[in-house]
Amino acid sequence: MKQAFILIPLLILPFVLNDFWLTQVATRSLILGIMALSLSFLATYLGVVSFAQATMAGIAGYTIAFFGPNTVGIGVPLPFWVSIPLALVLATVSGALVGLIARRSRGIYAIMITLAIGVAFFYFTRQNYTFFNGWTGFSGVRAPEIAGLSLRDPLPLYLLSLGMAALALALVSGFVRSPLGLTIQAVRDAPGRVLALGVSITTPIVAAFAFSGLLAGAGGILNVWYQERISSFSVGLGPIIDILIISVIGGLRHPGGAFVGAVVFVLLDTFAVDLIDRERFNTLIGVVLLLIVIVAPGGLQQLASDWMARLRRPEVKEKSTVRANS
Amino acid sequence: MPVNHSHNTANALEVRGIGKRFGGFWAVQDIDLTVRPGERRAILGPNGAGKTSLFNVLTGDTSATTGQITLFGDSVTREPINKRIQRGLRRTYQHAHLFNGLTVRDTLFLAVAGLRGSWRQVMPLRASDARLAEAERLAEVAGVADVLDRETSELSHGQRRQLEIGIALAEDPKILLLDEPAAGLSPAERPKLSALLKSLPEDVTVVLIEHDMDIALQTSESVSVLYNGRLLAEGSPDEIMRNEDVHRVYIGGAHGH
Repeated sequence: MKQAFILIPLLILPFVLNDFWLTQVATRSLILGIMALSLSFLATYLGVVSFAQATMAGIAGYTIAFFGPNTVGIGVPLPFWVSIPLALVLATVSGALVGLIARRSRGIYAIMITLAIGVAFFYFTRQNYTFFNGWTGFSGVRAPEIAGLSLRDPLPLYLLSLGMAALALALVSGFVRSPLGLTIQAVRDAPGRVLALGVSITTPIVAAFAFSGLLAGAGGILNVWYQERISSFSVGLGPIIDILIISVIGGLRHPGGAFVGAVVFVLLDTFAVDLIDRERFNTLIGVVLLLIVIVAPGGLQQLASDWMARLRRPEVKEKSTVRANS
Repeated sequence: MPVNHSHNTANALEVRGIGKRFGGFWAVQDIDLTVRPGERRAILGPNGAGKTSLFNVLTGDTSATTGQITLFGDSVTREPINKRIQRGLRRTYQHAHLFNGLTVRDTLFLAVAGLRGSWRQVMPLRASDARLAEAERLAEVAGVADVLDRETSELSHGQRRQLEIGIALAEDPKILLLDEPAAGLSPAERPKLSALLKSLPEDVTVVLIEHDMDIALQTSESVSVLYNGRLLAEGSPDEIMRNEDVHRVYIGGAHGH
């Protein structure tokens, strides 16, 4: 378990960082990373880029807001152990529905369809007051207290986010080694050939989207606790593009890339204000994105592992000669 | 052991009046074929004769414009490819299209799990899974056991063709449609493939598209010759060798290359 060693410095982090760094940078990166992971999972293993991940995350967030304590007086308060599973189920179902709608589309067409779904949901939340409280949305959403421990506090929220991120990564790496996960990858490589194995391709596609909905939902719940509010802006074009940018910066070839991308994104987002005008953030992130796409199309994660491979070059060379001989 | 008794008496494959039209062009037209269970049949024909189009219609990769297809006595003309596969029909593709991101082991595992209907499981695979053992056995049969953990994108052309056959052999195929299995193989790889074809179980019906006359005549007991989308001749390899029409359109041409 090489991955487990990465957890150790992350567990020490709270003792080193002050609350600002812990909450604004570390926790936020983890939450955005989980949402971006839902996209990189789809892109890596199904080969489909979806713009509806913010929608799935938003559905979970709205569920928590509607069925939990909030200050706008809308909704039905339920205990957290009901509202959390409900939010995850609804996010998963929304993912499955998106997959069902987009199942025949690939490439640019899948992007267009999922973007349409995302934008439609954005406008729907603005106009619906019964469930989404329109433009203003929900505020005063509070993370629950469990056994006297408030998940609103920086340390518990950080540890919870870290745990969820680790769990999400473990789920992804387990799922892609399951028969269904392998079938999803086969659909990515040669859908016609999957049919020729006696397997329908709708189920793997819908399952992949549903699983990505579950991941996005987990991120969405943490996000609404972190922000303590949710509104149409949380599911608009801004977050949709942020998730895409994070995934591309980190790299779509490895699930862990989502978190690398999230850290870079959050650092830029937090500190760009010290370097340039606030309004110039989009320019900055745009330039970073361009650089990544040109210099490292595989994202920072890929760039880093390429460098690692280069450092170990002699060993790599040896391996390849052995292979050639055998 | 065939479960259905009709399998004992019915022909493995019966094709009546099959035609496939693309726009105004008939790729194949008026094809009749009868293949007995266990028969080794070669489909011969120059490029563009309609061999692969015929295969695509037989497997359900594309639908027939006209005609009827019967597998072991059951009409499958309107069945999608995955249903026909479950009846024991398997095919390989002329241009191997495999799962490039998966290893040989995972590819063969999926062939087994797909056909057993157990591909929907969401728990990670265990190394002790019986289906993985079956995948390794198929790799052994197909001669790709030494590259089990390679991604299929890294395989040589010959290994890809062998893997294609390994996939087709999963879960007791009853009738194999092999689309130019020897195409593009090096002289060193050809005997391996020939041996693999000869080692197939006798009760498996094999229909083989082959461009190479010698391989086709060596491995088959009967030959159908297609020309311009129509059936030109049918018979034993000897009869085909002596057939003047065949000589005129195919053999003469092929040797002239």
